[in-house]
Amino acid sequence: MSTEACYHCGDALPFRPIKADNHLFCCNGCSNVYQLLEANQMGAFYKYEPMAGSKPAKERPDQYAFLDLPEIRSRYISFENEQQVRVNLSLPAIHCSSCIYLLENLHKLEAKVLRVQVHFARKEAAIVFSPDFKLSELALLLNYIGYPPDFSRNEETKKKQDRTFLFQLGIAGFAFGSIMLWSTPDYFGLGQDNATFRNFTAVLSFIVSLPVLLFSARPYFISAYKALRSKSINLDVPITIGILALYTQSVLQIFSWEGAGYMDSFAGFIFFLLIGKWFQNLTYASLSFDRDFSSFFPVAIQRLKPDLSKEIVPIEQLQIDELIEVRNEEIIPCDSELLSEETFIDYSFVTGEAQPVLLKKGALVYAGGQVQGLACRLKVKATTNRSHLTQLWNETKDKTPKNQLIRYQDRLSRYFLLILLLIASVSGIAWYFVAPSSVFRVVVAILIVACPCALALSAPFTLGNAMRVLGKAGLYLKNSSVVEALTSIDTIVLDKTGTLTDPNSYQITVAPHHLTDQDFTVFVNMARQSTHPLSKALALANEAAPELELLQLEEIKGQGMRAEWNGETYLLGSAAFIGEAHLAKGSELFLKTSINCAHLRFESSWRSAAIKSILEGYGAANCYVLSGDHNQDSAALSGLGFLKNHLFFELSPQQKAVQIQQLQKAGKQVLYIGDGLNDVGALGTAAIGLALSEDMFRFTPSADGILEAKSLVRLIQMLRIGRYAKRVLQICLAFSLSYNIFGLSIAISGQLTPLIAAILMPISSITIVLLSTLLIQAKYKRTFKS
Amino acid sequence: MGIIYLMLIVSLCIAAFFLGFFFWATKNGQFDDDYGPSVRVLFEDEPIIKDVKNGSSKV
Repeated sequence: MSTEACYHCGDALPFRPIKADNHLFCCNGCSNVYQLLEANQMGAFYKYEPMAGSKPAKERPDQYAFLDLPEIRSRYISFENEQQVRVNLSLPAIHCSSCIYLLENLHKLEAKVLRVQVHFARKEAAIVFSPDFKLSELALLLNYIGYPPDFSRNEETKKKQDRTFLFQLGIAGFAFGSIMLWSTPDYFGLGQDNATFRNFTAVLSFIVSLPVLLFSARPYFISAYKALRSKSINLDVPITIGILALYTQSVLQIFSWEGAGYMDSFAGFIFFLLIGKWFQNLTYASLSFDRDFSSFFPVAIQRLKPDLSKEIVPIEQLQIDELIEVRNEEIIPCDSELLSEETFIDYSFVTGEAQPVLLKKGALVYAGGQVQGLACRLKVKATTNRSHLTQLWNETKDKTPKNQLIRYQDRLSRYFLLILLLIASVSGIAWYFVAPSSVFRVVVAILIVACPCALALSAPFTLGNAMRVLGKAGLYLKNSSVVEALTSIDTIVLDKTGTLTDPNSYQITVAPHHLTDQDFTVFVNMARQSTHPLSKALALANEAAPELELLQLEEIKGQGMRAEWNGETYLLGSAAFIGEAHLAKGSELFLKTSINCAHLRFESSWRSAAIKSILEGYGAANCYVLSGDHNQDSAALSGLGFLKNHLFFELSPQQKAVQIQQLQKAGKQVLYIGDGLNDVGALGTAAIGLALSEDMFRFTPSADGILEAKSLVRLIQMLRIGRYAKRVLQICLAFSLSYNIFGLSIAISGQLTPLIAAILMPISSITIVLLSTLLIQAKYKRTFKS
Repeated sequence: MGIIYLMLIVSLCIAAFFLGFFFWATKNGQFDDDYGPSVRVLFEDEPIIKDVKNGSSKV
């Protein structure tokens, strides 16, 4: 029995945990799932990975009702007949072997589910169920056991996987192995005395190498061609020159019956290059870095017909002046006018305002806000794709094209190519005077041996390793060129709400603290019944408090609640409500019994450890805060160590982007970290924009990378790893250049043979791979394990 | 010496067979998920027991 963490999900236990079968749980949801699994003999779930569960989200019975609408249902169903329905769902909560066990045994929990197959890398499940089981029921079941399906990602998952690359790799490997096998006699000089055999293998080599040239090497030709056409040079240009030199020389040799030439090196070369590329492109298949606004909005919404009966419609079908009903915690899909008396709207994700706003009847409600409290009725004023939020999104997206970073190795390759051509022509001229017949052979040998294979592998392996290590630490980058950009960062700009503060927790202070535990439990129970944001925060912070049966519970709208328990009257609400109006200030909730009166103060809870480490690592002079919220936290932020004139409040999304542009004009390399939709512009403008996320698979604005909120503390160490990666890259480049120089000296003296080429090329490549991997792994261990 | 030509052809055929095998596996999606199958074999009981009465048990 574990005493400090929930047996199901591994979260820290609350003050009053729930107990079942000698195990402790953090919430009712977790203990329900546990009991369900035990009852169905699926206790093995806890054996494969301890504490592997995902905390189930709260559900509403009709949460997924929209899935039964034929037009929406057909979007997700991939196959259907009388016996079975097949659907592919994205289940972001999948994370370990126990998840696979639970999901693939789903038929034990629900007989109408026939078969489940989990695709772990994509975090998807292919589910086959019987036609009398509704899709909405399936979604509810998955949600109940802690795997809420993500319906917004459907379009992306439908994308077919491109496997061309694996075929290219396979062919190159096949040719490399075969040609090397029958070149072996040549290496030992055995083929020299049997011309027929040598010519036979040479022709075979030619045949096998054709698909390598035409199919496997194509990406390099295309990339070099594109670079030349836009009058620039990348590393693929010298590679292409090398490949073509290798190939032409070998073909000439084969058909003048002089042996197989360098075909083995040619195939091996392409094979190694492709492996490097494969390593570099291993990205996070299950994460999505470029989400557009449509995946933020709900798929469907309740529309009110003229007779006020409800129907569910996809949001694209909403028309201006139609009435809709948006329930608690749902996102408002379009700009509209409020018809209900009043409601709380949480705009924190859209504008950065930390506290929910109270809106009265007739107010304009912007799309993207989240309703807090009772369901409210709205009249549509603009369709979703014309709403304020989506226009803002499109604007900032188009206006701020990210300045394309020129890759380090591409800059280097310009000099490389220049020097290479220089050496080739100088030694060509020199040989013209020594032995004119050898000029062609020597020049080609130079081009072959200088072909920057090891150079080309340095970047993919170094940056790819760095990316992987950062992923382990909680920073998931979109691609490896972001690692390169990380090295030059000198300024860190942060969003406030949700980034510097923890959106899920308030720091609740009770003062004066002489309420009994019993009384406090009563208040928590009252708060559970309320829809007021502060009451909800109180209830959430004390989820495990026992349930009590309260009498005469009533809520006086906009003021507070009254209840009776054990003959005592309890009041919970504003200062005025409990009759102490003079005490009112800021976000507070007052509690009153006949004997005691206390107030709860709600403050943003700061991620202070992270803030401290960032300020220490980069110095307050290089850190800025851009917030869309009011400046009530300005004192707290400067207390934490930020410079007063580096704090900016009440910024619109465009102003945030402008601030960053100004910093960049001053020559700063800016890293921006934000989490909301109001950060989209800033994320796109900064040299690197990272989206901070509490839960890796929730909606994040499009960014260069996703940073786990709990890893913000380690940001400084991560940046250090980024800088170290650059040093490793330089070391690798130095190594590969020295290999090239060594090879060149052989080639210039006219002594290059296929055997030397066949040895030199793999050795240099393997050195680079080992060097970059070992150095980066060692750095990771030093940084995070100590 | 003639045998070596035959052996070269045979070795090439075997290699080509494995290449074809690799293509087949790739097309089948066997390299798509590199984690799931490794844990699935460790589960003690067969995850697929039931099926529709007349449906095939193809996975």
